[in-house]
Amino acid sequence: MKKTAGQGAEKKNAGKFFESFKANFSGWMLIVPSLILFILIVWRPIVIGISYSFFELRGVTPAEFVGLENFRQVLADTNFIKTLLNTVKYVFWSLIIGFPMPFIAALMLNEMVNCKGYFKVAMYLPVVIPGMATCLIWKMIYMDGGGGFLNMLLYFFGIGPLNWLSNANLTIPLIVIMMSWHGFGTTLIMYLATMQSINQELYEAARLDGAGFWGRIRHVLIPHMSGTMLLLGIRQIISVFQVTEQPLVMTDGGPNGASTTLGLTGYNYAFRYGQYDKAMALGVISFLILLVLTFIYFYLDKKTQN
Amino acid sequence: MKKISERFSEKTNGLLNFADLKKTRFKALYWIMFALLMNFTLACVVPTIWVLSSGLKTTEEMYRIPPTIIPEVFRWEQIPIAWNKISFGKNFLNSLWIILGCLLFDITFNGLAGYVLSRIKPKGSAIVETLVFWSMLLPTISMVPLYITFVDVPLIHVNLLGTFTPMWLIAGANAFNVLLFRSFFNGIPMSYVEAARIDGCSNLGIFRRIILPLSKPIIMVVSIFSITSSWSSFMWPYLVLGSTDKVPVAVRLYELSTKGTTIQDNEMMIITTFSIIPPLIMYMIFSKQIMGGLDMSGIKG
Repeated sequence: MKKTAGQGAEKKNAGKFFESFKANFSGWMLIVPSLILFILIVWRPIVIGISYSFFELRGVTPAEFVGLENFRQVLADTNFIKTLLNTVKYVFWSLIIGFPMPFIAALMLNEMVNCKGYFKVAMYLPVVIPGMATCLIWKMIYMDGGGGFLNMLLYFFGIGPLNWLSNANLTIPLIVIMMSWHGFGTTLIMYLATMQSINQELYEAARLDGAGFWGRIRHVLIPHMSGTMLLLGIRQIISVFQVTEQPLVMTDGGPNGASTTLGLTGYNYAFRYGQYDKAMALGVISFLILLVLTFIYFYLDKKTQN
Repeated sequence: MKKISERFSEKTNGLLNFADLKKTRFKALYWIMFALLMNFTLACVVPTIWVLSSGLKTTEEMYRIPPTIIPEVFRWEQIPIAWNKISFGKNFLNSLWIILGCLLFDITFNGLAGYVLSRIKPKGSAIVETLVFWSMLLPTISMVPLYITFVDVPLIHVNLLGTFTPMWLIAGANAFNVLLFRSFFNGIPMSYVEAARIDGCSNLGIFRRIILPLSKPIIMVVSIFSITSSWSSFMWPYLVLGSTDKVPVAVRLYELSTKGTTIQDNEMMIITTFSIIPPLIMYMIFSKQIMGGLDMSGIKG
């Protein structure tokens, strides 16, 4: 009797193990394709990007270990500091121009009792326009001579025609205006969602305490929004820091390198001059800078969620 | 239509409530904000409309002084001329292939990954979850390593340049969508899954028969964002397909804007408009889902 019971339990255990193996196995089968894709598209490139940056490449294969030589060449390039500063300028202007606008617009939109839907749909419109079309539209707006939209407007004020993108001092802010215009709607909707989640009783309490319009903004709205603002701000810094496509299309880095970014320099190294190794070394440098920002983002994200 | 005063008296949310809006200075503030929003709206809409309409001017009118903001005569006949001049239909077809492939890869692979991470959780899948999560946070190291991968795919040693496959593969590894699917599937009761399993459904069968029919809203949102993003994606199609006859609309636009010797500015405006119209139509139809999708993705978007 005892023996058979033991055997039964053993069989049951084996069956259970088999069942659980089967369940796990078929689960894994469904996720393995995704896993392979993630490794191929995301993780392996990071690993080979870092490791290949210490090699001299022949074609696309590493030929000779050169230590930090690629990094030395990238940093010794006379334009490196200028390009880094340009990239920082993009970030700076995007914080000045692109950061406060959606917040102010969301704040006002949240108060509307009429035309709210119309405003929302219209202000989200630029997001829908493809990036390339956005660049070309703004290129035509900024066009030098009489055909550009800005110069047309200025004509009616008796000014101009002025030079826009070909003016080295204006190039970066003008490109940032274009980028802010394009990204405005997404950020607006996100701010709006957070604003709508503010507990009304907080406003009532502030009102009872005699807080006016600005008082309510300062003591209720801003404290509630600060987490979101910080996160969106850092995310904006991270994405603007990598900007490549816009200067490529709008000015090709010109005039005379005035709007070249780190991303565009890397693009030029790789796809104009075929220096893949230098491109990767530059990529690693900006990767490290961005990693610091990402950790800050991650830390704050955790903190705001708690 | 309700009267505006009625709406004021019903307003209980936001910074200003009905009591505030009885006061003249808050009423004034309201209308100042309204006017400012009008200006924001104009700034968002006018540039596009200007380009749309300027394409219909003659070349002579474009550079005339004094300038005309709105064309004197709308020359609609310039539209088919511009389209045929660059035989744009081919590029639209290329874009369509990219979009369809990306959509298939996006929904299938990210959807399945979200499903497994949410409802099956086989032993050890936590590793996958960590990998996916971190790939959303990490910045990329230039485009070169991935480009090299496409030139010579590891293990199978195939060169994917000149094909649509690289864009599809990239769409299939979208960490954000995996997490979006996962959080949606988390809302589907585990008991449904278990009941189906008792009835002898396999994991894939549960996905097909239980999960998918319940997931229309999320599939809708992911599809809309997938379509609009592959329609506008430029860099990878440009690097992979550049100067072949397989380039999609966005890349063709760029090539025309740089090499365009025979393309006039007003023709360029019409061509740009062509690339705006499909997403614009999508937006008109699906604006509710798009806004809702943004809310769904919340702050992590």
